[in-house]
Amino acid sequence: MSGRSFLAFILLLLLSCACRNSSNKKAEFVFPEADTIPIGEAEKLSAEAIDEIAKNITSPVEIANLLQVLAVPFSPDYLASSIDANKQATSFEKALTLGILGADLGYLNMYEKTGSSIDILSSIRKLAEGISVGKFFDFETIKRLSLNKSNLDSLLFLSIDSYEQIDKYLRENDRGQLSALMIIGVWIEGQYLATQVMTEYPDPVLRDRIGEQKIILNDLIMLANPYCNRDPEFGALCRDLQDIKEKFRDIRITYTLGEPVSKEVDGALVVEQTETSQVDMTDEQLAGIIGITKSIRNKLIANN
Amino acid sequence: MKKYFVTLLVLLSAGFILNGQSTDKLVSSCVMNAGPNCKYLKDFRIQLAKAPAPGEMRYKAQMSLWKNTKYKFSMCTADDSKGELILTIKNDANQVVLSSYDQKTGKTYKSVELTCNRSGIYHLSYDFRDGQQGSGVGVVSMVK
Repeated sequence: MSGRSFLAFILLLLLSCACRNSSNKKAEFVFPEADTIPIGEAEKLSAEAIDEIAKNITSPVEIANLLQVLAVPFSPDYLASSIDANKQATSFEKALTLGILGADLGYLNMYEKTGSSIDILSSIRKLAEGISVGKFFDFETIKRLSLNKSNLDSLLFLSIDSYEQIDKYLRENDRGQLSALMIIGVWIEGQYLATQVMTEYPDPVLRDRIGEQKIILNDLIMLANPYCNRDPEFGALCRDLQDIKEKFRDIRITYTLGEPVSKEVDGALVVEQTETSQVDMTDEQLAGIIGITKSIRNKLIANN
Repeated sequence: MKKYFVTLLVLLSAGFILNGQSTDKLVSSCVMNAGPNCKYLKDFRIQLAKAPAPGEMRYKAQMSLWKNTKYKFSMCTADDSKGELILTIKNDANQVVLSSYDQKTGKTYKSVELTCNRSGIYHLSYDFRDGQQGSGVGVVSMVK
């Protein structure tokens, strides 16, 4: 592709995005074709773009919060308890598992099952040390806060902040592939948790949240793209993400536009959006997502 | 000369360390004071010099917000700042969803609660009022 054709392609891509955002009463989210940009081009993602993508990935804490709001009881069965940190041999395995266990830690913290999180914390420390980022994980303080059950806010802050510092350090030190793996691990485990709960406690709000992941899935794929040819393990993971994407392709997310309503309550500003999003997903599509998520997540933790 | 240079270097390093510590304190207090029903999600640490001319808000970030979730955005400004930290959030169609600064009344809110009814990626812009110099922290929490 010549430079001029490539520029024209980018311009068309931008125009198509702009059209998507026009002020029609209804708009629809479609997968941008950006992920089909050749891998060499995706490698040129700026540090800022990667940082933004990382921030867009749903926090497992948000999923766990939703489960609590829906009064779903805690279950240890959803956790990746079979993971043995000592058996994670490669940096690929360590980083991906670090992400998976990070999501589990978020779930345990939110349900205040902090006493049971000590084993997971030990594994996280081992894995973090295994990829030389142990110094960012304040194990002793997190453990103390977990055992004391004293301050959930401090615990959430320290756990999330440790992961963000690890992620930042890896990206700043040319180990972006490990940062991407960690983020993918967090997302897959969060999605596994949501889909497994959905099979036991079906709920329309949770169902929508699962379908809405289409919004960020493309970003996740873009994050992985630069490393897909790096080694066979990464290549297989990229194919897994594409398989997940296929299951989301025909899910429709539409938006009804509206002005936000603001009011002052006791001196604080409270805003309610009248703009809404709707997810159209058939039972078959949902079953497809549940199935692929389970199969990929279980494959990723199978080497234990 | 060498001695002066080393002293300067040590003083500069100490300044950076102290600055880092005070930012950490500000982050912790901002997280802890978000409210009793709030659960910490993310924070943005902002440090800006005075803008050459007032204009667009300078610190940009984006994050996904999800339908059926109530978020609280808290803004904490360091004592030595010249202006108060403010936040504007726009959707992906560039429409303003909320602003912690009311241009009509000139009032600045230290926190804003948003009931999100549209899942998507949102653009957060932080700055200090009137493009002033300052440092501060923006904390995002979920409200139960």
